[in-house]
Amino acid sequence: MTAIDTARPTTGGRKRRRPKGLTAHIILIVAVLLSVFPFAWTIVMATNTTQDIYKSPPKFTFGSHLLENIRHVLNTIDFFGSMLNTVMVATVTTVLVLFIDSLAAFTFAKFDFPGRKLLFGTLLLFMMLPLQLAILPQFILMSKIGWVGMLKALALPSLANAFGIFWLHQYIQNGVPDELLDAARIDGAGFFRQYWNIALPMIRPALSFLAIFAFVNCWNDYIWPLVVLTDPGHVTLQVELAQLNVGHTTDYSMVMAGVLMAALPLVIVFSIFARGFIAGATEGAVQGS
Amino acid sequence: MDLSRRGFLQAAALTAAASGLTVACGGGSGSGGTKNGKNLTLWYWGGALSDKVVAEAKTHFSSQIKLTTASIGGDFKQKLTTTLAAGTSVPDITGIKGEDIASFLPNANRFLDLNDLGFKKLSSQYLDWKTKLAQTEDGKQIGFPIDIGPTALFYREDLFAKAGVDTDPAKVAALVKTWEDYFQLGTELQGKNPGTYLVNNLGSMFDMTVGQGTQRFIDKNNHFIGDQDHIRAAWTTSVRPYTLGLDAKINDNTWNAAVGKNLLTELGAAWHALDIEQAAPQTKGKWRVCPMPVGPANQGGSYLALPKQCRNPEEAFKIISWILSPANDARGFTDAAIFPAAPAAYTMPAMTGPDAFFGGQKIIEVFGPAAKAVPIAYEAPADAAVMAPYKTELTNIEAKGKKPDDAWKDAVSQAKQIARRQGVN
Amino acid sequence: MTSPPVTGPAAVPSHRGGPGPARFRPRRAVPVGTARPKRRGPLSYWRQYLAISPFYLIFAAFSFFPVFYSLYLAFQRWDGMGTMQFVGLQQFRFLWDDPVFWLSIRNTLVIWVLSTVPTLFGALVLATLLHSVRRFKGFYRIALYVPNVTSIVAVAIFFGAVFSNNFGLVNAILGVVGISPVPWLSNPWLIKVVISLLMTWQWTGYNMIIYLAGLQAIPTSIYEAAKMDGAGPVRTFFQITIPIMRPIILFTVIISTINGLQSFSEPQVLFASNAANANLGGPGQAGLTTLLYFYQSAFLNNDYGYGAAIVWAFFVLIIVLVAVNWRITTRGRKA
Repeated sequence: MTAIDTARPTTGGRKRRRPKGLTAHIILIVAVLLSVFPFAWTIVMATNTTQDIYKSPPKFTFGSHLLENIRHVLNTIDFFGSMLNTVMVATVTTVLVLFIDSLAAFTFAKFDFPGRKLLFGTLLLFMMLPLQLAILPQFILMSKIGWVGMLKALALPSLANAFGIFWLHQYIQNGVPDELLDAARIDGAGFFRQYWNIALPMIRPALSFLAIFAFVNCWNDYIWPLVVLTDPGHVTLQVELAQLNVGHTTDYSMVMAGVLMAALPLVIVFSIFARGFIAGATEGAVQGS
Repeated sequence: MDLSRRGFLQAAALTAAASGLTVACGGGSGSGGTKNGKNLTLWYWGGALSDKVVAEAKTHFSSQIKLTTASIGGDFKQKLTTTLAAGTSVPDITGIKGEDIASFLPNANRFLDLNDLGFKKLSSQYLDWKTKLAQTEDGKQIGFPIDIGPTALFYREDLFAKAGVDTDPAKVAALVKTWEDYFQLGTELQGKNPGTYLVNNLGSMFDMTVGQGTQRFIDKNNHFIGDQDHIRAAWTTSVRPYTLGLDAKINDNTWNAAVGKNLLTELGAAWHALDIEQAAPQTKGKWRVCPMPVGPANQGGSYLALPKQCRNPEEAFKIISWILSPANDARGFTDAAIFPAAPAAYTMPAMTGPDAFFGGQKIIEVFGPAAKAVPIAYEAPADAAVMAPYKTELTNIEAKGKKPDDAWKDAVSQAKQIARRQGVN
Repeated sequence: MTSPPVTGPAAVPSHRGGPGPARFRPRRAVPVGTARPKRRGPLSYWRQYLAISPFYLIFAAFSFFPVFYSLYLAFQRWDGMGTMQFVGLQQFRFLWDDPVFWLSIRNTLVIWVLSTVPTLFGALVLATLLHSVRRFKGFYRIALYVPNVTSIVAVAIFFGAVFSNNFGLVNAILGVVGISPVPWLSNPWLIKVVISLLMTWQWTGYNMIIYLAGLQAIPTSIYEAAKMDGAGPVRTFFQITIPIMRPIILFTVIISTINGLQSFSEPQVLFASNAANANLGGPGQAGLTTLLYFYQSAFLNNDYGYGAAIVWAFFVLIIVLVAVNWRITTRGRKA
């Protein structure tokens, strides 16, 4: 409750009794530490040997075995090849998801047509269905198409991103004023023009958020690639990572080095782009209305 | 405006056409009709075969065949099942884990009968009981044995010595003829080594005691027999370490940390030696092996099989019989602690040397005889699924302190239900 | 369609009292673009149908078909390879009598509550705090969102190591303070706590960002007015912020319900590395969620029909829960 006590006044008025929002900063920093701690601890484990990890109490400090563990990882799996595959698949998927979902969401949010409610309702219903069971039918479909083992087989099922449509639909409905579309139509803009020139620029923040979400999901997807990618030369990072974890005993420090190497690029890329993305996603909501 | 609309139409139409087409027109790419393909794929998992032998096989057969190998991570059985069910991208040669082989037998028609390809002539080289486990009732052979997992008792020589026990393997073996002897020794050892335990958990005890029998959970007539005396006896024996306080109750990922520290013994298959060695390298020289109380069981050990879609059965069979020849099989022992299914390998130098981790003991002297003495038991396709609730209930005893008798009742009733679901009567 | 984020086909009445953020202003019932010209044949909407067709074609092939195929499977006995055998409602009868199924439902619900409540509460508090501060905003947002960017496989491996009974960091720290080791990964309740902690860690930042978007859309004038009326910060929070945020909170509750009830990878990876356990979900099956049980039945026991029955029974359960949730969260809005 103290969190809220101190939080609100800063929005409303300004209290000069103490440094502004000190308590808020303290709580936020504690939260940040909690959320970043696993990364730090992973680094600790990745720089030590497995024996150090198994010690009780375990070693708390950074060790000097990082390079050795990384070399071990690189010798065991095709790290860079699989990373390249992952980057390619995730990029293509994200771009296509953004296009397909925003187009459909725009249509649902701003147009009425027969069957609209039924179609949208089906989508919401299916969002709630666990799709793990879909793996087998999906695989059979893929094998009928002849795409088993190919990277494009990864992208296709995730293009039907119901959450994306749902999320964009909410955003467009409230964030893109009807007046603007009306005006555009009076100026002679057709359906696609309204989508491309008016709606799309206005929902850019929501798109950024969805982009991150879709990219991350694709990057971290595990079971589907494991099943569908039969060719060892064409696997993704997560599948390769799982290779490190096989066998009866696990070389923990090596696995942690692999985990670190797989997670770090995503975190770095995210940190670089996220500044704009998240800021946009949140601040854009105000401007959009 | 016109342009952008056309652009949109093209994009939408393309996407729609692509997805429509891909759904509509199936088939097409399946495996070719000819059975003398030059490209063969081999699926296995890390540690199933000696990577060195596999690499040599590639060069050895390179003039006729281009062999591509894939080491599959994660759940191997799931991946193989899905691929076989879909019928495309099926490997030409695949590994099958020993614990999974029974569940593939009802679908033997998905595989080639190795007897047709000449396995009959070679079969005498491999342990009969192991070969039989990959055989259907009507004699179709779907699996070519890679390795086996004869079990033995691993023990800490230093901790035994501390308790004043004669640590010579033969002497220890004589001390632990029965499970009760073993538990009694455990109590003695624990007294002299406070904080140590005899067994890591009850589930692994149960694996051993069931594996020592000639009957499992389902008989050949497809009847559930998991409530009968042989299982009850195995259960009762397995629970003893718990009541005696000899059970370390390790049911999470801490075995790695415990094995070098407070475990007096380990019950396990030959390949388990590598686990111990990797988890606790600091205990090098402190371990010994002797025959298990009562007698050996088998744990694990895999097969190679040729799916029906195999593009060149004759060459594929040549390749697997080369990889699994006794001489090459013996090398698997050195490279990956794979214990060969071919007894001829047991006398080869690769296997008869002293093992430094076991203080120079020649462990083949324990495992060799064990391999031949493993009891033969019928393993039904649903066996593993039916066994699961027993092990779950054993962990319930350990984790929740559930009364062993209640646990037994629940285990049997659940096992019965699973059996019914799986079509056992 | 009306303002709350989750409406679905059954639209709710759109009146709402009090001030609302511009984003969630009620919308006219007839969307723009058509102005309801009477009697237009479906064909005249070809642009709209074309626009949603890419999605629905893929959706039909990769969601719709598999789901109904699985319903078909629920009435069969099938090992994944051999021929199917129609068994009618037998699988569902087995399900009704199966204690493990009910155990898995209980586990799933407990884990869901243990993770969703702290996640959403924490996210709301953090979003409020973040909204109030002026400095380091960007840094906080990124640092708090980062857990959602990591792979579940990596996170589960990490949590397994940190909460390990014997060599885990948490027990080591407790040991320093003089507390004896806590059996995190073998006590049935603590197993659920660890899984829930894992999910809370991963999803708090995500929900925080969504709340933040909502908070920033609230015009400051409302707060000025509330202040003028003499409302304190706590009252402002509960009487202005929460009601205005209700649609967004509903959105996150629905999304977390879907995510939380579908927990699968977390317990799977957390306990899979342990070869000693034939059973999934850890000791006492305390971490066996319904989806994990489905996975075990279908893929490990090759009982695809039973697996399909589990998923479908569970689907019905989710629908009921979401409906109940929705009732609770929307109750009182119409007053």
